[in-house]
Amino acid sequence: MKQKNPIANPLIVLREEFDDWAILFDPDTGNAFGLNPTGVFIWKHLDGKHDTDAIVGRLREEADDVPADAAEHARQFIASLEQQGLVGYEVQT
Amino acid sequence: MSAEKTIRAIGGEGGSGAVEKSAPSLNMLYFYLTEGCNLRCRHCWIEPPHQTAKRRHPAIDPDLFRHILKQARPLGLSSVKLTGGEPLMHPRIGEILGVLREEKLRFNVETNGVLCTQALARDLVGSGLYHVSVSLDGADAETHEWVRGVKGCFDAAVNGIRNLIAAGIRPQVIMSLMRRNVDQIEAVVRLAESIGTSSVKFNIVQPTARGVKMHEAGETLSIREIVRLGEWVENDLSAGTKLRLHYSHPAAFRPLGRMYGSEGSGCGICGIYGILGVLAGGAYALCGIGETVPELVFGRAERDSLLDVWKDNPILREIREGLSRRLGGICGECLMKGVCLGSCIAQNYYRSRSLWAPHWFCEEAHREGLFPEARLQGARRRVCRESQGPVPAALR
Repeated sequence: MKQKNPIANPLIVLREEFDDWAILFDPDTGNAFGLNPTGVFIWKHLDGKHDTDAIVGRLREEADDVPADAAEHARQFIASLEQQGLVGYEVQT
Repeated sequence: MSAEKTIRAIGGEGGSGAVEKSAPSLNMLYFYLTEGCNLRCRHCWIEPPHQTAKRRHPAIDPDLFRHILKQARPLGLSSVKLTGGEPLMHPRIGEILGVLREEKLRFNVETNGVLCTQALARDLVGSGLYHVSVSLDGADAETHEWVRGVKGCFDAAVNGIRNLIAAGIRPQVIMSLMRRNVDQIEAVVRLAESIGTSSVKFNIVQPTARGVKMHEAGETLSIREIVRLGEWVENDLSAGTKLRLHYSHPAAFRPLGRMYGSEGSGCGICGIYGILGVLAGGAYALCGIGETVPELVFGRAERDSLLDVWKDNPILREIREGLSRRLGGICGECLMKGVCLGSCIAQNYYRSRSLWAPHWFCEEAHREGLFPEARLQGARRRVCRESQGPVPAALR
């Protein structure tokens, strides 16, 4: 069984705010999570077409001063999203 | 670009319908050390009687204080707040501080500063004081003393602040906002800068106890004014000072970056799950609200076991099991309810006699169209941007 790229749960709502932060929330449960601007960028690329390295690559193109360990942080971030049921993977069997 | 990429749960523990089965850790005790106060603040939410040389009111006995701390340690106690009344007016404050030194407990103090002499400031700092807030409701004596009701208290408070700084701790200034002093916000910040304080916190006058009378007399600010001031303080005034500024409106009105960003001041979550109040007369209560709402008193320290009160009191259990899931009205709809917890359950109860009533401020703001729609669940069809794509197999 091989996992493919991460995909944002389409039932989860991303609500962007004026300062580029955003709230993710599950309309069914009311559970809500805050995202900083980098988290928002990553969330928007969780489309099943990008793996973590590709997302961080896009981030480096768009932002200055991306730290060297950004990929590790991004992996942790996506893993925490997965734990909360906000992200899943298509599975090839 | 910020390197920070962690997701921060707004839902939080107990904030998403989770039911807490056992008592949480009792992290902090709020000691309302004295029943009386040396000032007569017109907005006070506790409404303590005025104490003079001739007329004295109860203060907690240092032996009882020690007895409570000894019981609280095994329950998880890690710090203490000394408040009042006026904590520095306690006739045996030196003994109280001695107990804290013996127990090696960190503590913070909320004071009007008036009685904070050089010697007391040194004693406080030497006993484990880690944070102190001093009230200044105006940048001049006339305004401050109009609010506080006693001549001479402005200079005394400023001296108290200076004494604390000289003893090695930079206090936070707290200013309660009302019609009379709203024009002095910036002047108070400049005064706080010039004295050398660490931060300024702006409180909204709550419609509790004496605050009710101010609201009824039109001496408080309108919701519209409070909301606009909050935006100004957080976006403009903050940019022009090195002091940290905290504006105490509910979490729904605060930008996420101001709460969780690298320069943020925290989410302002109420620590209700881990806090218990102890009133001057020795009663356990939700907080100081127990002085005016008898049903929020949970027992007596000289008679009842703290463990039993903390673990078994039915109101505390109901709060643990119900927050934030059972919050009603606008608070029930709010995406921030997991951190805000209804802003102040004591205040909400005072007004409605329901633990689950919405917060007055948010209710009024919503009624006037000032509540941030993006922070409401029901707004999803109007303002949200839905993410696109197929449903992942794992989530179907």
